[in-house]
Amino acid sequence: MTQEEKAYVHWLYQAVGMGGRGLLRSLETIGTPPELYQMALSGSLLEKVAKRYQNKIAHVMEMTAGYDVQGEYTRMTDRGIQLVTALEAEFPKRLKRIADPPYVLYYAGRLLPAEHKAVAVIGARDCTEYGRYMAGQFAAALAQAGVQVISGMARGIDGIAQQAALQAGGYSLGVLGCGVDICYPRENSKLYEALIQQGGICSEYPPGIGPRAILFPPRNRIISGMADAVLVIEAKEKSGTLITVDMALEQGREVYALPGRGTDPLSRGCNRLIRQGAGLVSTPGELLEELLLEYRDKEAGRQIALAFPDKEKQDILKIVDINPLSAESLQKKYEAEYGRYLSFPMLLHELLQLCAEGYVKQVGGGYFAKCLE
Amino acid sequence: MLSTMISGAVYGMHSCLIQVEVDVSQGLPCFQIVGLPGSEVREARERVKVALKNVGVKLPPMCINVNLSPADLPKSGTMFDLPVAVGIMTALARLPKEAAENTLLIGELGLSGELKPVKGVLPIVREAARQGIRKCILPARNAWEGALVQEVESIGMEDMEGAISFLQGKGTRNQTASRCSSVDLNALIQQGGQGEDLDFADINGQEGLKRAAEVAAAGFHHLLIIGPPGSGKTMLARRLPTILPPLSLEESLEVSSIYSISGLLQSAASLKTTRPFLNPHHTITGRALAGGGRIPMPGLISLAHRGVLFLDELPEFKRETLDILRQPLEDKKVQIARSSGTYTYPADFMLVGAMNPCPCGFYPDMGRCRCTPYEVKRYLGRISGPILDRMDICVEAMPMEFQDITRHTAGESSGEIRKRVMAARERQKERFQGTTIQFNADMGAGEVERYCKLGPAAFCYMEKMFANMQLSARAYHRILKVARTIADLADSSEIEEIHLSEAVFYRRMDQKYW
Repeated sequence: MTQEEKAYVHWLYQAVGMGGRGLLRSLETIGTPPELYQMALSGSLLEKVAKRYQNKIAHVMEMTAGYDVQGEYTRMTDRGIQLVTALEAEFPKRLKRIADPPYVLYYAGRLLPAEHKAVAVIGARDCTEYGRYMAGQFAAALAQAGVQVISGMARGIDGIAQQAALQAGGYSLGVLGCGVDICYPRENSKLYEALIQQGGICSEYPPGIGPRAILFPPRNRIISGMADAVLVIEAKEKSGTLITVDMALEQGREVYALPGRGTDPLSRGCNRLIRQGAGLVSTPGELLEELLLEYRDKEAGRQIALAFPDKEKQDILKIVDINPLSAESLQKKYEAEYGRYLSFPMLLHELLQLCAEGYVKQVGGGYFAKCLE
Repeated sequence: MLSTMISGAVYGMHSCLIQVEVDVSQGLPCFQIVGLPGSEVREARERVKVALKNVGVKLPPMCINVNLSPADLPKSGTMFDLPVAVGIMTALARLPKEAAENTLLIGELGLSGELKPVKGVLPIVREAARQGIRKCILPARNAWEGALVQEVESIGMEDMEGAISFLQGKGTRNQTASRCSSVDLNALIQQGGQGEDLDFADINGQEGLKRAAEVAAAGFHHLLIIGPPGSGKTMLARRLPTILPPLSLEESLEVSSIYSISGLLQSAASLKTTRPFLNPHHTITGRALAGGGRIPMPGLISLAHRGVLFLDELPEFKRETLDILRQPLEDKKVQIARSSGTYTYPADFMLVGAMNPCPCGFYPDMGRCRCTPYEVKRYLGRISGPILDRMDICVEAMPMEFQDITRHTAGESSGEIRKRVMAARERQKERFQGTTIQFNADMGAGEVERYCKLGPAAFCYMEKMFANMQLSARAYHRILKVARTIADLADSSEIEEIHLSEAVFYRRMDQKYW
């Protein structure tokens, strides 16, 4: 498809607007986008479509008057935003095969061809320290194995996984529920910039469309549709993440979930998925094995590095968990574990020294968590 | 005939003696008051006229002029009734000319001639004593306030009749006048707070919180307590004054003066001998907090002078209200400008804030917290950065466990903690001798450089912390100040690594986790 034709596709998409699926389908039977443009200009389009679309077509024609087709398109491509239609070879193959693929995909950055395996890493927005850590580990391992990490660039697991994938030097694709020129959520603006540089951002909505709640569930079908497998890191029992999982199952994608403790509300969704038959993966190695990829264990050398000369610090490090514990509860745990009393200032001193060395991090105000990166 | 009486007025924290000049002469009968009188001062005419009539003094049809000097200061309040009445009687030669010489007269008259209490007696009497006046006649209910000032003989009067007979030298009649023996303030301060049953020993567990409170008290650092509901934040804050050093005599008079101006000193029992503790509700307006009104009255921050201002549920306070605190926190005083002049009230208080970590209160316990990260962030965002920046010590209260609540092992008592706090204060006094600084918290950047030098080992340690824990330059100075206090508590002249560790622990958390 030539750039000129794409300009007409862009016009059609913008003119029809959101929720015009039915209309687009019927317009397809009438003519190609350039033909449709001529008809819209001359007014003959109105007679050719079914009665129920009359209002919408009136709107399309209104919008067409004075619309600079090529100019608008060049303006968009100048901003680094590309457009690929489902008819083209470059259109992501996996996505083309789902039940209701988007007609058009807008993207910034680049899209990888289908030879590259893709895994969608998704999860809760308000995640735990555990979820944060595991999302980072999985995404980094996937990226190093050459797998694309696909996600929604949302707060929490999504963003963390994509960040980790980029940091590991891999490729990551963010699928947005708004135009690709809009960074939502705003706090992920750094990630957004990095994705454009090093990975990709895509959306089925034309640039300029702001984030709206109704746009997000359809976006989820693209996330799972672009991936070979979906990995759920953390999800509550009722979570938006599970919508993506449903879509993935409809599309015939593999679903993997990271198990968690039974008491942890943020792992309940995952545990339930496993019970329903999702693949259980507790380490990145297991996931890569499932994907028939080789995994090099980077953790092997770490145990040696952890060997401290100071016995006291070793003891304290043993009771610090990935989940943040308060200084007070660490004091109690220390006493219960070793039968010795450690004064509060002493414990703080040891903990902060461990922080300074980078083994432990202080989370929130008075909480400490193990640092594994 | 002309007579001159002495009275006084309060302008902010600054009191001023006022000459009440009364002239009675032949002419068209009139009674006027000049010298920028407020409406309540102008109404003194009616009160004085009727009160004098009711105690049997009939005013002749003459021209009565009263001037309040210095005449360019606006006058308000009802304390001029008594000097005007006595001035008229002296001018009419009903009282000997020297009867009220060198005597401070303050009091409001009722129509029956009764003398009613007024606000601001203590600061006026203190000012009078400074200017060499040795006798004052006050409403009986204010007499004890005057008696606090040792140099002045304070005479309390129930009514005008008593005052007249006293000034005529007839002595007291029907015991309406009573000479107040001077109040022993030292003894009061010694007793101060003894009746209260608040004590640190009441708090079970919460070792970290108690320790942070001790450090805050020792260096007069502002304190922010974050914790889930019911974790004892308010309980701890209420007990803070019990570990702060007792007020000195001078401080007690200073604080009591502010209360006197606000009309909050009702009896010797309400004299401020313990450090004030104020916890306004979060619906408080900016004016109530900083002080205000047409004639500005001290706000809560001034009433908390030398004590604790506790703001519970900090994010619920209106942002504008909190931002008003910024300048007083810096200057330790508040300036209020009104058309009647600029008033300055002291406001050297310890700010203690308490808040939940998020709207539901349970963050970072993700099992119970129902807030989104955005909500958590927004919750803290309601407090402006500059206010948070002034909080030297930030500490989290942990949720109480059942064993903590039911355990009855008494912790340290306030008395024991106070001893350590006072020792640390002594060290600070020595260090800052000859400077305007009182506590470690008052140090500016320059003083931190001077007084908080780190040894080579501690410097190395700090360097490592700085790199690994993403501390900001601002945080660095705060950490050093707090570390200085911790070292003072440990009676160490050097700041060591362990002191730095604890100070780093108390720093404000980066926005990231909130």
